[in-house]
Amino acid sequence: MKLEKSLYKTVLLVSLLVLPLSARLSAQPVPGRDENIPFLVTFGKDGKTSWGDNDFYQVFFFSILKDYNKPIYIRVFDPDCGGEWDEIQGEFDSKTKFSVYGGKGVDPDKNEESRGLLKGLNYKSGNLLGSKIFGNEAKYDNKYFTFGPFNPSEGDFNAKWNSYMFKIVCEGISGDDGNLYKYFLSSDPDNNIPIEGANAFTYAYHFRMWNDFKSVAHIYPYIDTGVVYIRQRNFDWDNDGTILVVSRYKQGIPVPISNEDDWAQSNIPIEAQEVKSSLDFQFHKRQDELVKNNNVVITLENQRGDAVKFFSSPIGGVPVYQPKLGYEKVKPKK
Amino acid sequence: MAKGILYIILLALLVPDALSQPVKQQPSVYNVKRMPFNVPGFNNISPVIVKDGIIFCSDKRYSGIEDVTGFDGRRLYNIYRAEKDSSGYRKPHAIKTNRSNKFNNGPLCIAHDGRTVYFTSEVETGKAAENKNYKNHSGIFTAELSGSELISIKPFKYNDPLYDMGQPSVSKDGKYLFFASDMPGGMGGADLYYCEWVDGSWSAPVNLGNKVNSPQSENYPYIHPSGKLYFTSNRPGGVGNLDVYYTIRNNGKWEEPILLPEPINSKADDFAFVAQDNLQKGYFSSNRTREDDIYEFTSNIIRKSSCDTLQENNYCYRFFEENAMKYDSMPFRYEWRFGDGTKGIGRVVEHCFSGPGTYIVQLDVVNLVTKEVNYNEKSETVVVTAIEQAYISGPDSIGVNQRINLSADQTNLPGWEITQYYWNFDDETIALGNNVDKSYLKPGTYNIQLIISAKPEPGGSAREACISKNIIVFRQP
Repeated sequence: MKLEKSLYKTVLLVSLLVLPLSARLSAQPVPGRDENIPFLVTFGKDGKTSWGDNDFYQVFFFSILKDYNKPIYIRVFDPDCGGEWDEIQGEFDSKTKFSVYGGKGVDPDKNEESRGLLKGLNYKSGNLLGSKIFGNEAKYDNKYFTFGPFNPSEGDFNAKWNSYMFKIVCEGISGDDGNLYKYFLSSDPDNNIPIEGANAFTYAYHFRMWNDFKSVAHIYPYIDTGVVYIRQRNFDWDNDGTILVVSRYKQGIPVPISNEDDWAQSNIPIEAQEVKSSLDFQFHKRQDELVKNNNVVITLENQRGDAVKFFSSPIGGVPVYQPKLGYEKVKPKK
Repeated sequence: MAKGILYIILLALLVPDALSQPVKQQPSVYNVKRMPFNVPGFNNISPVIVKDGIIFCSDKRYSGIEDVTGFDGRRLYNIYRAEKDSSGYRKPHAIKTNRSNKFNNGPLCIAHDGRTVYFTSEVETGKAAENKNYKNHSGIFTAELSGSELISIKPFKYNDPLYDMGQPSVSKDGKYLFFASDMPGGMGGADLYYCEWVDGSWSAPVNLGNKVNSPQSENYPYIHPSGKLYFTSNRPGGVGNLDVYYTIRNNGKWEEPILLPEPINSKADDFAFVAQDNLQKGYFSSNRTREDDIYEFTSNIIRKSSCDTLQENNYCYRFFEENAMKYDSMPFRYEWRFGDGTKGIGRVVEHCFSGPGTYIVQLDVVNLVTKEVNYNEKSETVVVTAIEQAYISGPDSIGVNQRINLSADQTNLPGWEITQYYWNFDDETIALGNNVDKSYLKPGTYNIQLIISAKPEPGGSAREACISKNIIVFRQP
């Protein structure tokens, strides 16, 4: 009970102080601006996991502060699977379903199944507010499709975050092609207008790595109270470079990366000073040989096995390493 | 720099090889005078320094015209205290024991507690002792000094009716008891021994070895708080008859004894030396004027009883990136620039600066993944200082007769307006100046003292600093 109270206070404080700040800075594109991830990716259910999608669906959540009472829109960029951006396997014959949920059952803090981490559980919980299936459709290629308007109160209220939660599920319901897409939570149906105080997060990030040597992608998990270490699991990294974990206190801890159609995992210790802040997982591409069209998955959980959220706008801002130089007298060597 | 150095060599007077050198004409650094409480016609020996005067042994009468004699008809030694006040020494009064009229009492020593007395007396006190032909050997006894009386007398556990033990001297910390004995197994005559206080009792006697003990006799050990062991010997090479020597223990070994200079030693018997902590003043016994009498010596050599040991300046540092220390494998290379033109690489590096100064230490970090270099990612100003102390620069060991230079130039006493550098070389020689030359004539370990005097601060008193350093002088092959 004490832990829950403490968590509540912490989250409340963060929601009141930090979230508005981050919103003013970055808004709600998904992937976020600081993440520098080119696309989210979901393959048709007939695809191979070795192409970089372990479960052929992806769940994202949006949080809207309780005080916000104007209509909201969830916009999907390039929702079709064909034309530009998407990854063809033979020919584009895949269908992708985007579904928006609100109401009871969406909030992942109250309903763990909603997080979508384990296939077979009911990650489609909540009231279906909108849904659309996209095939190879030029009219949506390289364009936005907008779900909404939704009244914020149609979301599932989360008292800890003082926010209404919405969920969008992307499923590759047929075919084997890879659908590459992005989201934007907007106050306008036709333009990407950020909503103050809103954010987006997921528990399992499926995304496309850059097709160049230099670009570095990031994700920003938030370390909540009571976390001692986190366990990272990454899938199908194709040995493509290096993952470094950075914080104000970590200059860059390398973690093991997976190979083709493979998981790799490791534990990362969390220092007390890192609690209530975000980590920066940096994805550096391999430098000797360019790995193209690399789709990957990453999840995190804490020492209790609870999934850790990745926020599109890092809570507390992007962590920057603060070097700490120390010195002490020593006996001279003889 | 060495000009203007006043240099006094007295030890040369004591070494045959140096007898022909003109320096032997240098005046002595010691003055001696006969003490006023010596009673003419009687022997007065073995002084002990106490707070209010001198305790000593004398075979004088208590009163009247009748000598106090033992069963063998010889005058008995007893213990006396000569108290001193502003007008000088008062007439000595006896410190009696229940043996005072039958047996010798003394020589003695008093432990640091001021109450426990170790003294010499005869071992046998029974009927056998009354036979004038009976050879009653001396032993050591402990007692408690209570006013003018020694009470609670107890024999030392190693006393033996077959040989002599006596002239005890206990170390300031009470851990070691030195004494003389002619017990079997010695080097000849009387030898010096010590016992160590271990687990509540005295260990078996240990002979001090053949550097201290000779085929002749060694007697009257006196362990000074400085660790110097003074003793008396009639070995060859002295000034004449009994002479006073000292030795010191280094690394568990007693060093070759040093003969004290004249006029402490003379052609007569000179023995039973004791001294104040600072060695500026002390007492000894001598029969240079026929009877054994007690003499006082004073030294015009300055030697401090409390002198700091030289601490070597240390300009070595370990630098580290604190967060990087926590993880074994980090894809970064840490390159350090120490601000003195040198560099180091590693999460943890050690660097010794050449001397005091202000150094800006900068850390460049190379990301081995991106190959990017963060120049001066972090910097720190490191102020390297020397220890505030007088400083003796010079070798730790030299050969006999090897000429060396000793320097005080690295002295770090900020704000001091130094007026004098005074060197005490621990061989009864001194020098003045910030740079001095020195050679030693005999092997041993010498504790050099550098005493620096400075003008007083405004409104303050004169300032003085003393630093000491050991130098080992070895015999060259």
